Amino acid sequence: MRVTRPRIRVRHPATAVVLLLVVLLAMPQALSTYWIDVLTAVAIYSVVALGLGLLMGRVGLVSLGQIAVLALGAWVAARLDFATSIPFPLVLLIAGTITMVLGTLVGLPALRLSGLYLALITLMLAGAITVVLTTTNFPNGGPGFLGHTESSFGNPAVRRPGIAGSDAAYFRYTVIVAALMFTLVFWHVHSRPGRAWAAIRQSEPAALAAGVNITTYKLWAWALASFVTGVAGGLLAGSVGKLYTYQFPTRDSIILLAVVLMGGIYNLWGAVVAGALMKLLPALLDNWGLPPDLLIILFGAGVLQVLLTAPGGLAGQVPKDLARLGQRLATLSGRRAPEGEAP
Amino acid sequence: MPSWQDFQPFIVTGLALGGVYSLSGVGMVVLYRTTGVLNLAFGAVGAMGAFIAWSLINTLGWPAALAYLACVGFGAAISLLYGMLTGPSLAGRDPLVKAAATIGLALMLLGAMSWIWSDKARSMVLPTTNWQYSVGEVQINWTQIIALALGVFVTLATAAFLRRTGLGTAMRALANDREITAALGVPVRRVEATTWLVSGALAGGAGLLLSNLVGLDAATLTFLVISSLAAALIARLRSLVVTLLAGVVIGLVNAMATPIFSISSYRDMTPFVLAAVALLFLARHQQISFARRSR
Amino acid sequence: MQRNGVFARLTLVLVASTVLVACSSHKNAGTTANSTTSPKCGAGTGQKATGEPIKLGAIATKQPGTDFTDIPNMAKAFFDCVNDNGGINGRPIQYIIETEQTDPGQVASLAKKLVESDKVLGIVGNTSIIECAVNHSYYEQQGFYIIDSGIAPECYSTPNSAAVNMGPRYSVDGATQYLLRQGAKKLVLDQSNVPGTGYIEGGFLLIAKDAGIPTESLKDNVPIQDANSVALKLVQAAGKDGGVVLNFTPPEALKILQAAQQQGLQDRVKWACSTPCNTDFLSNALGPQWNGKLGVNAELNLTTATGPDSELYRAVQKRYARNIALGSFSQMGFVEASIAVKALMSVSGDFTVTSVNEAIRNIKDFKTDILCKPWYYGTASLHIPNNTDRTVVPQDGKMVEKEGCFAISDVDPAIAQVRTAESAG
Repeated sequence: MRVTRPRIRVRHPATAVVLLLVVLLAMPQALSTYWIDVLTAVAIYSVVALGLGLLMGRVGLVSLGQIAVLALGAWVAARLDFATSIPFPLVLLIAGTITMVLGTLVGLPALRLSGLYLALITLMLAGAITVVLTTTNFPNGGPGFLGHTESSFGNPAVRRPGIAGSDAAYFRYTVIVAALMFTLVFWHVHSRPGRAWAAIRQSEPAALAAGVNITTYKLWAWALASFVTGVAGGLLAGSVGKLYTYQFPTRDSIILLAVVLMGGIYNLWGAVVAGALMKLLPALLDNWGLPPDLLIILFGAGVLQVLLTAPGGLAGQVPKDLARLGQRLATLSGRRAPEGEAP
Repeated sequence: MPSWQDFQPFIVTGLALGGVYSLSGVGMVVLYRTTGVLNLAFGAVGAMGAFIAWSLINTLGWPAALAYLACVGFGAAISLLYGMLTGPSLAGRDPLVKAAATIGLALMLLGAMSWIWSDKARSMVLPTTNWQYSVGEVQINWTQIIALALGVFVTLATAAFLRRTGLGTAMRALANDREITAALGVPVRRVEATTWLVSGALAGGAGLLLSNLVGLDAATLTFLVISSLAAALIARLRSLVVTLLAGVVIGLVNAMATPIFSISSYRDMTPFVLAAVALLFLARHQQISFARRSR
Repeated sequence: MQRNGVFARLTLVLVASTVLVACSSHKNAGTTANSTTSPKCGAGTGQKATGEPIKLGAIATKQPGTDFTDIPNMAKAFFDCVNDNGGINGRPIQYIIETEQTDPGQVASLAKKLVESDKVLGIVGNTSIIECAVNHSYYEQQGFYIIDSGIAPECYSTPNSAAVNMGPRYSVDGATQYLLRQGAKKLVLDQSNVPGTGYIEGGFLLIAKDAGIPTESLKDNVPIQDANSVALKLVQAAGKDGGVVLNFTPPEALKILQAAQQQGLQDRVKWACSTPCNTDFLSNALGPQWNGKLGVNAELNLTTATGPDSELYRAVQKRYARNIALGSFSQMGFVEASIAVKALMSVSGDFTVTSVNEAIRNIKDFKTDILCKPWYYGTASLHIPNNTDRTVVPQDGKMVEKEGCFAISDVDPAIAQVRTAESAG
């Protein structure tokens, strides 16, 4: 991936907190249940995008199988939820951990490959997992290890945490968990692992020479991405309560790549943008009566645009554009002499 | 367990399926060898060409042969357009970035196909499909033979072309390092254009055959590329012959697992499992890398 | 930046040219000035309704590979016709159609959107792979009685859903019964490997067992990449004098049938298909080699049938929905809309969620020549009002009737339960 220094700008931490408060408190009051459900999905997929963005932006690894990882996390969470009465937060934690372990097991041999090969092997593995899941299905309260019963009458839903039964409450719960995941990744990025990742992305030989254990740090990133995706899977399971293989098509892994690129991989906000592109935009298009196929065309164009001209994605581009707009306005109003384009 | 006699016809269907995987796999490796781009939109380009041919035949009443030409022509044109637009910008980038860009193209085509030709049961039957003859219990049709033969032909022709002709050498040099090749005086843009044109035509032709062998369905044809990729990966995107053989083997294993009901539902995993195993096996000692430069 | 502009412009050209090709190759979709008299729907006054709209809603699957929007779109066509003929006591029907992409979260939220945001009074025309499963509890809580074209098992096993079709399980039953009558000595069922296969094969297994015929129940992942092997597998499994029942969407069923034909297997066994195969499109694509060889279970009458409702259906399609194909999907939409209109017409007093759904629930003895038997809702804990159907076969690009109305076997316990309730009430 193109090398630039990571632009983790925490310019206004206050903004982030205020935004979070607005989302948590004001939105559920102002919006209908439908939009709250949509935003819950946005929050969940933001976390998934966060994982992929972490891999791509910080370490330069591409995984085309994150949706399969999400499915695994959801599967584990649902199975635990039906089989035991462990409280929901713990279910999320365990689902994340198991997913992390599975991801690490895959990563150990796979990370020896790099670049294109790694991306393609993740695609292959995701394909294999999808086929298996089509046959084993998702737990729905049935018996046995697989926990799936063919009888479809009166199957229970994955139970939500006690404090977050209603859709609005579950939305808040999801946003808080998502914020925790973002904080977790942010903390990683700003401490030793983050610096090691930056060194690896800059130049592997140089990092090696500087004493960075490349395998360990790559695995760490991989494990972290798997963990947050697993937790997102658990949130997804609780969100609708019924899981089907329909929710995790291979196509979505490709679309996830597209929206993560468009959102921007060098900036954590990019993950939120990606989640919104993936889950909010279709709902908006539906609201405006436009066909969902347009979205796929848009995503394709977006991928091309990002890769060809704007590697920072929307999260990188919009602040730049706004800044440029500000300059233009200043020039027009005569307050400044016209300058050349700022980089 | 089914008897050997029950298995026999599946060898034939396996070869036919293998032909499908090989054709797409070889098509992708050919382009990779000559432009350094793994074209994940190979299936989508062919699919759209096939849909256009279908519309030309069924809605505008064009003669079939002309429509097939249009399909191949469309494949060539859109690949050329894509190659010319993105070639220069992506030239020095990682192969991963180039492949990711083709995903963009694939999504655009898939969205366009879904939108324009909404989902209905469509079929386009090539005349070669009606020419059949029997091998034992099973009947084969000429479309299947052509698919397999085309895969073989492209493999052999490309191998010879790349090694023996001046243009072929130029293409290989271009795939290796664009800047140096340009510095050596090779007309880079023209070579690139030729490569994309030919590869696109191949995608269009493959699309026609595949729409007949697998079905005229946008999503199926676009994502068939993932299974074909397995064959290409086993060959490490290098050897055309290995791609061809790998595709055939994958097809055979997949088909032969069909009558064994206990594992039958898992048989679609065949390409993925074989590719993953092969890759990990090959990777156990080496650092396989595609980076042209350490970026 | 220059690159940016060029790229943008060329994208535009590409998209524009593609659209041009598409537009030039699509049949004219708009309603043209026509010379036929406008059909009389509903009250039949010929006057446009202008009062306060009565809102109804629907949810249908629409994604690559599965598109059920023909059903609510045809229902809308009928509602438009009714609105042009005086509406419901002068009030027009406003029909809100939502499409979903088999994402349970989305499906659940769409139901809430219809009920809580759009405030629809009734829900008619739902056709979705998972909707009944995901939303039935919500509808029960909110007091909505849905008229749908069911697919998921919950559409046929919960009190708040009654379908105009009979769904995959009972349609497979009907296809199975046809093959038994054709003298099949072994039966093989093949269906797409999606959630719900256990439910669908249940009836097939019971009926075959009751007739003493051995069975094999198989599944295949869709989209099918290797139709040749699938067709071969089915023929081998069925053996001599065997029969194969297919339960797939039309494009997938077409792949298998064409592969069977390309390998010369169409005469080796007897073939049958559940209702999705009942389209002229499929018959056309199959060609004359399949004439009379594929028994398709038809939940509704032929689109070419005579009879006042069938004629009205064709007239409405011609006037209001030219781009929707004649076929069982649009027939279902038409019937569901007709039932809804009858229910709405019977509402005395205010139109509220309660009054509208009460009226829907009270529908009984709704006669139409599109269905074999009169349709009804009622207060039972499950509803399978369409439990009698026909068998059709492809013939020269069309579907023609081979067997007239026959009852789905009550070896299937839910059918037995429904028959008991019918004879009692």
